[in-house]
Amino acid sequence: MTPETVSFLINLLAAAVLLATPLLLAALGELVVEKSGVLNLGVEGMMLIGALFGYIAAYNLQTITCLEELIPGFCQKEERVFTTGDYLMALCSAAIAGALLAAVFGFLTQGLRANHVAVGLGLSILGAGLSNSLGSNFFGVNYTSVQVADHPEMFGQDLLVWFSLIMVPVIWYLLQRTRTGLVIRAVGENHDSAFALGYNVPRIRFYCILFGGAMAGLAGAFIVLVHVDWKEGVTVGKGWLALALILFGTWRPMRVLIGAYIFGLLWASELRLDNLFPNWQLEWKTILTTSPYIFTILVLVLISRNPRLIHQNAPGSLGKIFNPPS
Amino acid sequence: MLYLEPRRETTVWTSVRSIMLALVITTVISVLVMLAMSDRPADAIWQLLTFPWQGRRMEVQLGLVAQQAAYLATIAIGLSVGFRANVWNIGAEGQFALGSVGAYAGYLLLGSPESLWALPLILIAGMIGGCLWAMIPAVLRIKFNTNELLTSLMLVYVASHILTYLCIGPWKGDPKAGQAETYPLAKSVRPTDLISGTELHYGLIILLVAFLILAGFLLFTLLGYRLRVAQHTPRAERFAGFSPNNTIWLSFIVSGAMAGLAGAVYMTAETGKLIQAENYLENFGFAAIVIAFLGRLHPVGILLAALMISYINVGASYIQASLGVDDSIADLIEVVALFAFLGTAMLDQYRVRRSVARPRPVIQP
Repeated sequence: MTPETVSFLINLLAAAVLLATPLLLAALGELVVEKSGVLNLGVEGMMLIGALFGYIAAYNLQTITCLEELIPGFCQKEERVFTTGDYLMALCSAAIAGALLAAVFGFLTQGLRANHVAVGLGLSILGAGLSNSLGSNFFGVNYTSVQVADHPEMFGQDLLVWFSLIMVPVIWYLLQRTRTGLVIRAVGENHDSAFALGYNVPRIRFYCILFGGAMAGLAGAFIVLVHVDWKEGVTVGKGWLALALILFGTWRPMRVLIGAYIFGLLWASELRLDNLFPNWQLEWKTILTTSPYIFTILVLVLISRNPRLIHQNAPGSLGKIFNPPS
Repeated sequence: MLYLEPRRETTVWTSVRSIMLALVITTVISVLVMLAMSDRPADAIWQLLTFPWQGRRMEVQLGLVAQQAAYLATIAIGLSVGFRANVWNIGAEGQFALGSVGAYAGYLLLGSPESLWALPLILIAGMIGGCLWAMIPAVLRIKFNTNELLTSLMLVYVASHILTYLCIGPWKGDPKAGQAETYPLAKSVRPTDLISGTELHYGLIILLVAFLILAGFLLFTLLGYRLRVAQHTPRAERFAGFSPNNTIWLSFIVSGAMAGLAGAVYMTAETGKLIQAENYLENFGFAAIVIAFLGRLHPVGILLAALMISYINVGASYIQASLGVDDSIADLIEVVALFAFLGTAMLDQYRVRRSVARPRPVIQP
């Protein structure tokens, strides 16, 4: 292999990690939510809100704007060094924003027993609309992008990359080997039996929904802080891909991880094809951009061809409204 | 603590009451949002509610409302067929786009006609386009048991790229235009205006007729009745000899055709040509999902919801121009209304009771 090929492959892998990590984070959060029997289709909306708030927090922490109120006539945009603490603050605000949006979903579906699919779709529309309007209000048309050049890295990768990888065994262990996980799975498998055993089904589900929202918020923050700058609809459907990933992984964290990295690699190679074939016409590149979505459809078809695979793994009460017997 | 107690009987009155409550909640939250977003909230609310009587001619403003409501209601009633039967086609945006593409393809296939008689054929071509695009998730669902919700949504992204591809590739029009677009349709093929100076045209009449036909079918025929009760009694539906697969086919055909028709009318009447996706698609397909749920999946409700949301949308763009209030407030009101309606729907079947000690099962040792 020539040195060019090697460096090309390394670049490809690095890009794949960048694309796979948000997918993995969002999918792991949603995995826990679905294991508790809730179908939250608002992942895309929560990611967008998380992305926006993470970005705003980073923006505010990075630049101290006008001090005019304190000292008249003194106005200066001071560039601050962006420290690890600031980065963690931005991540926290993204997670909280995602969880708050998820709380709306939890209140409506668990408190008021509304249809999961309808509220989830509404949440996605709300997240997109809210992030667009707040984003354009906050940043205006022209703004200088946040330079999170020195976001904290460990072993050459961003902290969140390692966090997402560690969360895979953690969530597996939590769900399969602890009492908490057993309760979550029981609530998701059969909410009537779990209720009869004395578990507060809506409350357990609500906590899971909050966790899912926080993870989706982190996923959004990763996109804007590490990968690309904020713009409208910056997640380009990654929230929906995360939902597809859970089906692909048949509700198992390890398979979700594998799926996320396969998606990341494919997406990265699609982006690299531009560089490989510079002579290609623009119109063909447009068609090529659809390949992640077409690939998702193909994968879904392959996975769901075997109905037993889905039926054996899907939580029994997934997406059903819980009406406690009274 | 509060808990929900099932109602012994549900009447129309309980539904009306919960709808009124939802409207009140929507109003209160909208006013709060307006207070946060505007410097002169009282003016903003007043102008939002009475914009047709302010400034420009009334029929122009109301024409804008009717125009938007026609597209939204047409797509939403198609979607409601599937939503009632738990068939989740959320890709109406893509079917709308492919409806436009189908209509333009029909126009080209007819050899760029200049007579108004070609218009029905062009619209039918659009319906077929939307229908075929909706067939993809339907076939995948029936043959491979694939989740139709995710596939139909993924196809929206594909459809918008197909639209852009056609505009910069095979059907590329005037290269001097600021955006990628095709050559426009002959003026004589496009639906003419009903009242000059307004946005009203014959295409909207076609949409209204399509809406009424489907509404009549849902309300007054046996098949429509079966589709409407499918949500509550999937088992009874099966005993009545109507297979779930037929429901899926029918849902996707109807919703795809309606979205395709809306796309075809939009292409022929509003733009007169195809434009690259970012400048062409106005999220009618996604807003229609909200409309369908706001109307509680009932034809009459959908029509009222479409009118209400369009009124707020047009009003919001009016106050953006006059008072500088960001028109995204319309989107917020729309989603607040959706959540209020979904959240109060359970009051149809339950009443909220206060309990001293909440009934809670106890595990016996």
